[in-house]
Amino acid sequence: MKVALFITCVNDGLFPNTPRAVVDVLERLGHEVVFPTQQTCCGQMHLNAGYREEGLHLAQRFRDVFNDYDVIVSPSASCVGTVRDLYATSAKSLGDATLAEDLDEVGRRTYEFSEFLNDVLKVTDVGAVFPHRVAYHPTCHSLRVLGLDEAPRTLLRHVEGLDLVPFVQPDSCCGFGGMFSIKNADTSSAMGSDKLAAVRASGAEVLCALDNSCLTHIGGLASRARSPLRLMHLAEILASRDGSGRV
Amino acid sequence: MSRVFDTNLPFPTLARTALADAQLRANLKHATTTIREKRLRVVGELDDWEELRSAGAAIKDFALGHLDELCVEFERNVQARGGVVHWARDAAEANAIVVGLVQATGVDSVVKVKSMATAEIELNTALESHGIIAYETDLAELIVQLGDDLPSHILVPAIHKNRAQIRRIFLDEMGKSGLAAPADLSDDPAALAGAARAHLRQRFLSAKVAISGANFLVADTGAVVVVESEGNGRMCLTLPETLISVVGVEKILPDWRSLEVFLQLLPRSATGERMNPYTSIFTGATPGNGPSNFHVVLIDNGRSSALAEESGRDVLRCIRCSACLNVCPVYERTGGHSYGNPYPGPIGAVLVPQLRRGVRTQLEDSLPYASSLCGACYVACPVKIDIPKILVRLRSEVVDEKRREHPRDPELVAMKMVEKGFSSARVMRRLVAAGQVLGRLRVRRLRYLPPPLSRWSATRDAPLPPATSFRAWFAQTHPDANVDLPLPRDFSSSLVHDHGAIHDATPGHVGRDVPGRDGVLSSLASALAAHPSPPPPPRAFRLTGSRDARERRQLLRERLVDYRANVVECDPASLAATIASLLAAHHSTSVAVPTDVPDEWLREVSVRVHRDDGPLATAELDAIDSTLTGCAVAVAETGTIVLDSGERQGRRVLSLVPDHLIVVIDDAQIVEVVPEAVARLTPDSSQTWISGPSATSDIELERVEGVHGPRRLDVILVAASR
Ligand code: SF4
Repeated sequence: MKVALFITCVNDGLFPNTPRAVVDVLERLGHEVVFPTQQTCCGQMHLNAGYREEGLHLAQRFRDVFNDYDVIVSPSASCVGTVRDLYATSAKSLGDATLAEDLDEVGRRTYEFSEFLNDVLKVTDVGAVFPHRVAYHPTCHSLRVLGLDEAPRTLLRHVEGLDLVPFVQPDSCCGFGGMFSIKNADTSSAMGSDKLAAVRASGAEVLCALDNSCLTHIGGLASRARSPLRLMHLAEILASRDGSGRV
Repeated sequence: MSRVFDTNLPFPTLARTALADAQLRANLKHATTTIREKRLRVVGELDDWEELRSAGAAIKDFALGHLDELCVEFERNVQARGGVVHWARDAAEANAIVVGLVQATGVDSVVKVKSMATAEIELNTALESHGIIAYETDLAELIVQLGDDLPSHILVPAIHKNRAQIRRIFLDEMGKSGLAAPADLSDDPAALAGAARAHLRQRFLSAKVAISGANFLVADTGAVVVVESEGNGRMCLTLPETLISVVGVEKILPDWRSLEVFLQLLPRSATGERMNPYTSIFTGATPGNGPSNFHVVLIDNGRSSALAEESGRDVLRCIRCSACLNVCPVYERTGGHSYGNPYPGPIGAVLVPQLRRGVRTQLEDSLPYASSLCGACYVACPVKIDIPKILVRLRSEVVDEKRREHPRDPELVAMKMVEKGFSSARVMRRLVAAGQVLGRLRVRRLRYLPPPLSRWSATRDAPLPPATSFRAWFAQTHPDANVDLPLPRDFSSSLVHDHGAIHDATPGHVGRDVPGRDGVLSSLASALAAHPSPPPPPRAFRLTGSRDARERRQLLRERLVDYRANVVECDPASLAATIASLLAAHHSTSVAVPTDVPDEWLREVSVRVHRDDGPLATAELDAIDSTLTGCAVAVAETGTIVLDSGERQGRRVLSLVPDHLIVVIDDAQIVEVVPEAVARLTPDSSQTWISGPSATSDIELERVEGVHGPRRLDVILVAASR
């Protein structure tokens, strides 16, 4: 299958290992990966923060960049959530029904990485090896916007050697929330510290999620606390063949 | 003076105080965790919860879409039953109406049932300025009032206090305004509830005027519905001569039948109970049976403006259950006071800016941002209000206002620049490349960022950019898989949007110059004019149960016992003996009975029997140990007994004042589910729905039995002869 990658601005500039892992896994499964180089940002930050017009400019750009592809895959649940859930609503709230319909259409072709593996390719075992204790944090966008919980867990359960450890209140928000982490930095940090404490208490060595933005927030707290907790996107674990998790 | 919220400080500033208070955070965490688990348990019991939610949302949409007509219908039905409806466009009008009504009765104090609407209009302060004291009677409100505090939760205003703090307040303050708390008061929630009972008892029995809010108003019967736990609501809706209910127009439901949905949604979402201990459905003045003067003050106070706008209308569906607060991770850390007004939590963050359209202080502007948009509220909301989407929408109003008023606002300028950067892959490539310079510096951690990002780095290290971006790597490794199509379009002018349009077009202000009824009705009508009528709501939930009579009795028994009612079963032949033995077990010396209770029931009773022929005065009833009644219908699934003053039930006061209540139920009266009960009952009868003894969850959200209503409930299930 030909897959167009939407890697997201955050992954491009800060976490290239995640999209590299996506390329690795998809190619290993025999699929063709293409990268439309005009892609930038989905507009999530603007749309969530109330910058509806700026966000919609970026949404239109996204649509044009990916106009020619049947399958768009991204390793970011919140960006996919934005494309699928927020684009059309935002256009509607500006009274532009045609644009809303247009954006809705591109949303139907856009998949989160684990969702694509599980629901479209029907793959549960990608042949990964990762002998570590891993906690999985369902981020708000993956869980409540995209409804993804079983797909990533199933993929993790099929990783050789991986021990999926539970922790308390897995569903509660880590406190990142985009601009929330700056505008309400104190509350955001309080939420994040509680999340970090819950994960630490589980004995996990690695915290895994479908969004590097949330992991940056929890990881920033962990690093400040000099915690050895390792933060990894699901794709990086699935790409691991030798147990190291390095791409 | 009662304290009122008077801050214009933004949410993050207010939150800082709460976040620094370790005790407060511990109290909130304990309380919200408790209630979350309870809610999940009782919601999980119902297979048709999603259908009920859909129906709830649809009924509310329908009601809001016909609000002007329904208000008029409600008024007509209240009038037909001897009540009076008043109309207030804003807080000042509402307060003036209530003050006038109280003054006309000549009293200088009133008892109050907890009400968000009266908190919103700051009624207590208005009454005080006319020399009228308003005594709060809900346990949590009492705690807040005695402690000269501010409410921090819709349902449990004292949620921020734990039992030890509450004990202290009772010991220090109760004696200053009435009966003091006993010196040996413990911090056991049951003891604290007992102290509140004693403190308020005389006040209830002697009150002439009560002020309440309402959870629902029923247009086709003129009913005021008050859902509560402790019995203070029943006291206020039963004993005083005058009842004044102050209610937002959005509380109107189209018809009696709507309650089949809301009496399931509300208690399960609110306190996490299958049914709350007491629901009073009051349909107007009946001589000798409750207040003889009955007033409803319908308030607009911003609701018609909200109604004019789609997201505002969604927000008006809210039934104030507090589920969204209880599941909110932000509320859990910051508590209610951080929201700077009586409506805290996610619902406060979307409701307040809509009710105060046109008011723009730092507080209103900050509320839509007081959320990480995690979506837990939307999942929990029984009427499916998509709070995250509405927050985003309100944020865009804040931004649009900035564009108009402060085009050089630094955030606005920065966000526009970022968009420009993202609008070009070339610029973005350069930005990413610039970041990589940092990545090559071999620093291990990034601890300091410049403002405003310093707010990030105050507590969190920042990620280090890698040496190579993904783009660069992919270009090298997959030279043939890079698709570089030029994008000819420039979108910066593609969205035609007049920033003033939404705001100025809001037609809810049409009635602003006309006082009272005509003003409110014309505002509502013009708010609705632009919107299509919503469709009639679906009824896809369970309308009937599937159990036979024996199984229903069994279920009812279990559910009653769950809420600490004492249940005994007997056959018709042994009913008289059973009644006598229950009275003896309670050491009763006297029992009150409705006029039409059969002699047969009392055949073996040896204590003094007071038939309500006189009728019995409240003070007489207060001296009687027990009451014995029949019932209208009982709901097995929720453990609920409904009294409607019909056969063998007598006046409402009988089942309220004596501390021990015995109810006789026979198999034919038991239905399985709430909709069956609603179908059986006479729509316009005044009713009391009783589920267990009076109880409260106001202390740390733990349920304890025994407040103002009967503390002991005995139920006799009479099995049809085998
Ligand atoms: S918004 Fe929904 S969950 Fe929150 S109080 Fe209102 S009805 Fe309850």
